[in-house]
Amino acid sequence: MSKVKIKSKNLNVYYGDKQALFDVNLDLNEKEVTALIGPSGCGKSTFIRCINRMNDVIDICKVTGNIEMDGMNINDKDLDVVSLRERVGMVFQKPNPFPKSIYDNISYGPKIHGKGETKSELDQIVENSLKKSALWEEVKDRLDEPGTSLSGGQQQRLCIARAISVNPEVILMDEPCSALDPIATAKIEELIDELKKTYTIVIVTHSMAQAVRVSQKTGFFHLGKLIEVGKTEKIFKNPDNKMTQDYITGRFG
Amino acid sequence: MNIVLIFLITIFSVSLFFYGKSKTKTISIKDNIKLNALPKFYGYYLVLWCSIPALVFLLVWSLFEPVIIKSIIIETAANQGAIFSDKNEANLIYEKIKAIHLGTYFGDIDSILRESALAYAKFINLFTNSKVVLIFGIIIASVIYSLKKIKNNNKARDDVEVILKGLLFVSSLIAILTTLGIIFSLLFESIKFFSVINIFDYLFGTNWSPQRAFVRDASSITAAEFEELKDAFGFIPLIAGTSFIAFIAMLVAVPIGLFSGIYMAEYASIKVRRISKPIIEILAGIPTVVYGFFAALTVGPFFRQVGENLGLTVSSESALAAGLIMGIMIIPYVSSLSDDVINSVPQSLRDGSYAVGATKSETIKQVVIPAALPGIIGSVLLAVSRAIGETMIVVMAAGLAANLTINPLESTTTITTQIVMILVGDQEFDSPKTQSAFALGLTLFIATLILNYIAQRAVKKYREKYD
Repeated sequence: MSKVKIKSKNLNVYYGDKQALFDVNLDLNEKEVTALIGPSGCGKSTFIRCINRMNDVIDICKVTGNIEMDGMNINDKDLDVVSLRERVGMVFQKPNPFPKSIYDNISYGPKIHGKGETKSELDQIVENSLKKSALWEEVKDRLDEPGTSLSGGQQQRLCIARAISVNPEVILMDEPCSALDPIATAKIEELIDELKKTYTIVIVTHSMAQAVRVSQKTGFFHLGKLIEVGKTEKIFKNPDNKMTQDYITGRFG
Repeated sequence: MNIVLIFLITIFSVSLFFYGKSKTKTISIKDNIKLNALPKFYGYYLVLWCSIPALVFLLVWSLFEPVIIKSIIIETAANQGAIFSDKNEANLIYEKIKAIHLGTYFGDIDSILRESALAYAKFINLFTNSKVVLIFGIIIASVIYSLKKIKNNNKARDDVEVILKGLLFVSSLIAILTTLGIIFSLLFESIKFFSVINIFDYLFGTNWSPQRAFVRDASSITAAEFEELKDAFGFIPLIAGTSFIAFIAMLVAVPIGLFSGIYMAEYASIKVRRISKPIIEILAGIPTVVYGFFAALTVGPFFRQVGENLGLTVSSESALAAGLIMGIMIIPYVSSLSDDVINSVPQSLRDGSYAVGATKSETIKQVVIPAALPGIIGSVLLAVSRAIGETMIVVMAAGLAANLTINPLESTTTITTQIVMILVGDQEFDSPKTQSAFALGLTLFIATLILNYIAQRAVKKYREKYD
């Protein structure tokens, strides 16, 4: 049994008067891929946005309960959000490269955190990040071109490289393949398999097949509640809960 | 008469609408056929056919009637022995005849004039009567034609679409032609001006004193006068003054406008935004003349007072006062436009930046502003062309003397101000002084055209990025 990296206890999230998460208790294991599945609006994305405090951006959002990373309380008011996000990277549903060059897209994070003080150090970080995200071979001769000139799949790998560039411990992926074609999706999934050797990964997905392919652990959310969580194999072959069974066989959602 | 005609055409059209609608309904019920369009389209069809040909005819007639009558009257007067040597005298006689007809002429009336006035009355009568007859003829013909079409169950919907498209086309054509008309009137008067003043003397001269050319006929200019005029129309002091005041205005408007735009878009809560945005935009609604007297009566004297206390000579009409107030006037343009472009930067870019651990100000500085930059440049350039075209504040606050200076405490002047000065009051239309206003207008027009073009290109480039 691998070590627990992130632990949530009785996590509740409210958007104004509306409660989006109800008492979520979920453990995420280190250097493993955890998939979160469930119908749209069930709170999967809300949950992962609690891990890097991205919900802070939304004014009306309120989080109660406990969420810890390596014993550190993420929900602490006094926590330095900047250094939390340095440790917890995120990849979004739609590729969102900055309108800057490929190089600047990657070097943006390290520069902000004062990593890579010399040009050669920075070059090294950019090269390593692009290699890890399996994009280096495709872009090494055109690092000056805008990130937006890449194809959708390449843009998403660029965003993964951007997340890796600050050397995080956890990478959150919010439906990273939903805007991509099957070939690009296959590449990203391959990449996730590779990345889990180094990083703890949480992926939100609508594709059951993807969850089966990439994850070791799966959590099923419905209407803001975590219905069932367990080894991916078990959830998809022999779930305990009737609702999980119905969802994965496509009877609702 | 024309108003009565238009009124009649309107009434007739409206009643035809209802007639056409009910008529086609009964046809479709009686003969049990499926109409090719909704009954109301047949109504529209009749309305358009009844009104457009008649109105177009009325318009064309009204344009040409006076011209034709005038040439006929002048010819009859000449036949009766009236003597006139050129066009102006002929015009004078025509105006006299018209005045006699209207009973507003109080001079001596000789037999020629009396005869001509009678002829004039006769022609007016004839023309009016034939106009009425022709218009009713046209209405009857087009209504008969369109009624026949309706009875055959024509595709009224398509026909109405075609006519409406035509109407819209004509409207945009009018807008374009008007602009062209303005440009050409500027151009022709400028050409007259440049036939007296060398274009290079104008463009590169450093002395602007058009009053030297006051009341002087361009056609009968002597060589000595020409030499004197040569350096009276130097454009440099005006463009320098214009750019200088616009520059001061931009120094005020760009930082304040941009920062308040950023605040509005990124930091202000919904409540603050809802209250303060309209307040800033009110600034744009204040008439410039109000800014003008604020600048002239409050700010200018205040600066002079402060300057005197510091031991400086400050003119009470200074470029600084005018530029400052103009800058305040322009703030809402910059802030509102940059607020809009910053708002249209997708939230996903901000999320991407936050997710690697950037703070809010880092995100704004390094991601949001660069992404919005083309739009911000566009808004600044639009503000510059606004500053260059602004007149009232400068007239009131910066003075009228065309000083070539870079001291913001002295008075200076701008292109638009000089145009006002030249054209205020009675003017000889063929003196170079008056014509110089058109040359200035043309130069200003070209300058703002170029700026607007650049601004729109920048804005377009920005749009392409996120669409």
